[in-house]
Amino acid sequence: MSFKRQVRGSRSRGPAAGLLTWNRRVQLTGLVLTLPALAFAFAFMVYPVANVVFLSFHQYSPLRSADTTYAGLSNYTWLASSDIVAHSIWVTIVFTAVSVAIEMAAGLALAALLAKLVVESRHAFGRILSRVLLSSFILPFATPAVAGAIAWKMLLHPQFGPVDAILRTDIAWFSQFPLASVIAADAWKTMPFVLFLLFAAILSIEPDQYEAARLDGANGWQEFRYLTLPSIVPVLAVVAAFRAVDAFTKIFDIVFVTTGGGPGNDTQVFPLLIWRTAFDFLNFGQASALAVVAVLVSAALGASLLAIRRISPA
Amino acid sequence: MIAFSRAEQISRVVRASLLALAAVAIVIPVVWMAIGSVKTETELFASPLALPAAPAWANYGSLFQQFHFGIATLNSVEISLGVVAISVVLGGMAAYGFSRYPFMGSRIVLSGLLITRMVTPAALVVPLYLLMNSLGLLNNVVSITLGVAVLNLPLVVWILRPFFDALPREIEEAGLLDGLSPFGVFWRVAVPLAAPGLVTVALLSFIAGWTDLLFPISFSTTPDATPLTSQLLQMQTGYKIYWGSLMAGSIYLTLPTLVVSFALQKYLVRGMRLGY
Repeated sequence: MSFKRQVRGSRSRGPAAGLLTWNRRVQLTGLVLTLPALAFAFAFMVYPVANVVFLSFHQYSPLRSADTTYAGLSNYTWLASSDIVAHSIWVTIVFTAVSVAIEMAAGLALAALLAKLVVESRHAFGRILSRVLLSSFILPFATPAVAGAIAWKMLLHPQFGPVDAILRTDIAWFSQFPLASVIAADAWKTMPFVLFLLFAAILSIEPDQYEAARLDGANGWQEFRYLTLPSIVPVLAVVAAFRAVDAFTKIFDIVFVTTGGGPGNDTQVFPLLIWRTAFDFLNFGQASALAVVAVLVSAALGASLLAIRRISPA
Repeated sequence: MIAFSRAEQISRVVRASLLALAAVAIVIPVVWMAIGSVKTETELFASPLALPAAPAWANYGSLFQQFHFGIATLNSVEISLGVVAISVVLGGMAAYGFSRYPFMGSRIVLSGLLITRMVTPAALVVPLYLLMNSLGLLNNVVSITLGVAVLNLPLVVWILRPFFDALPREIEEAGLLDGLSPFGVFWRVAVPLAAPGLVTVALLSFIAGWTDLLFPISFSTTPDATPLTSQLLQMQTGYKIYWGSLMAGSIYLTLPTLVVSFALQKYLVRGMRLGY
């Protein structure tokens, strides 16, 4: 991917010393180009993360006192023994599993239907229809999470929400079924992402294969089951892995806006627990220990994703 | 041309109807909110399923009179543009450097940078709050911009590096042999060629800045440094939820990203495909 090999080959005059200078120049250019970004990431990512490790061994409550006092492992023993923390991790796992499962199922079904429509559209009507559909499917992705969360809060409102009005009930969904409601809102928001990736993957399958399947007398379902699905399994796996990591590490806005983690701690997902420990309870020591755990988990997940991405053809 | 049998015709209609139904279900939350945003409070509670008698624009007026949306809009614009500038300039240079001029250890550095993409934002915000406090940047849009930008940077490099990788190398080599410096080649050859990638990245960065909630609620307590996202939440207090204003404000917040996303749909979809 570099100039090194090619340019070195094309420079016929190159004695050993000249090559070294050229090589050094390549290295220097690379450093100069990447340095601003690396310095930026160091100042506002690496250094703060190092600081959070330091703080996790201390007691620190800004606003109350500016002192940090050494606290040994106490923040970690709290973390390991706290029911609130264990519950929060459990809620996050359930949230991730259910939300990603719904997104994948709905995204796959719609992507397959949409791809079939696009492939078979030989008339203007079909093309216009598929464009309109694509645009509508992109809407949740383009909606800010905060606005999407407020929309769902309104939809599921017991007094004026259309859902209760149609069902003739007065269920306060976000209080009575908090986790399910949060999952519904999140699946709505992120499903388009899955849909578009799978849609692209399905469209990249060779049309000849569908032709052959049809000649063999396959019906729509058999086509999907024995041709489409096996062809996109690698993409499915990568997308599901990415969505799972993102859902697990980044779920915040929708919960913060709709339930705030409640009722009780029913929807207190892990990122929200970290935030509330720091900014509601002003316990930066405990929050730092939670943050260290989160960073370790996300680094491990991130590294495995990089590895998956590298070996997968997707 | 393939001739469709009758059964196949029917199944095509069924599939199209299913898709149309799904599309309606997917747009309903936002469309319903748009309708709700022009209802009066009485209409909202009295007849949840009815359309408003006449659009009541007062909710939109209240955003600016009651809820500081003028200054909040300005703050959101500043944050978004700041994130776009940092992401495109720093991320573009770094992605090009990683793609074309590998240095000792650059693969490891790149992997490290890409892994930070998975960092839980809420974990970073805790120490970043303390850093911004000591830099005196709390209650200032600069701290929010820096926070969003640093979380956005790995994604930018992630998307742009393969983009530069895929550019035909011969053109750049020709530039080098013609006596352009590496930076000249970057600026005059690679950047124009990678323009679609840069547009994609700028679009995603804009959305990241415009929609972020975590950094504003953590770093800002005054309306002077509060963008639209966190200003919206001021409408749901413990005593009263201003539903009309809340829905109007949500639509107001959504419109710019919606317009930009539809206008640049091609780039957005490419961003999704490259961003995972």
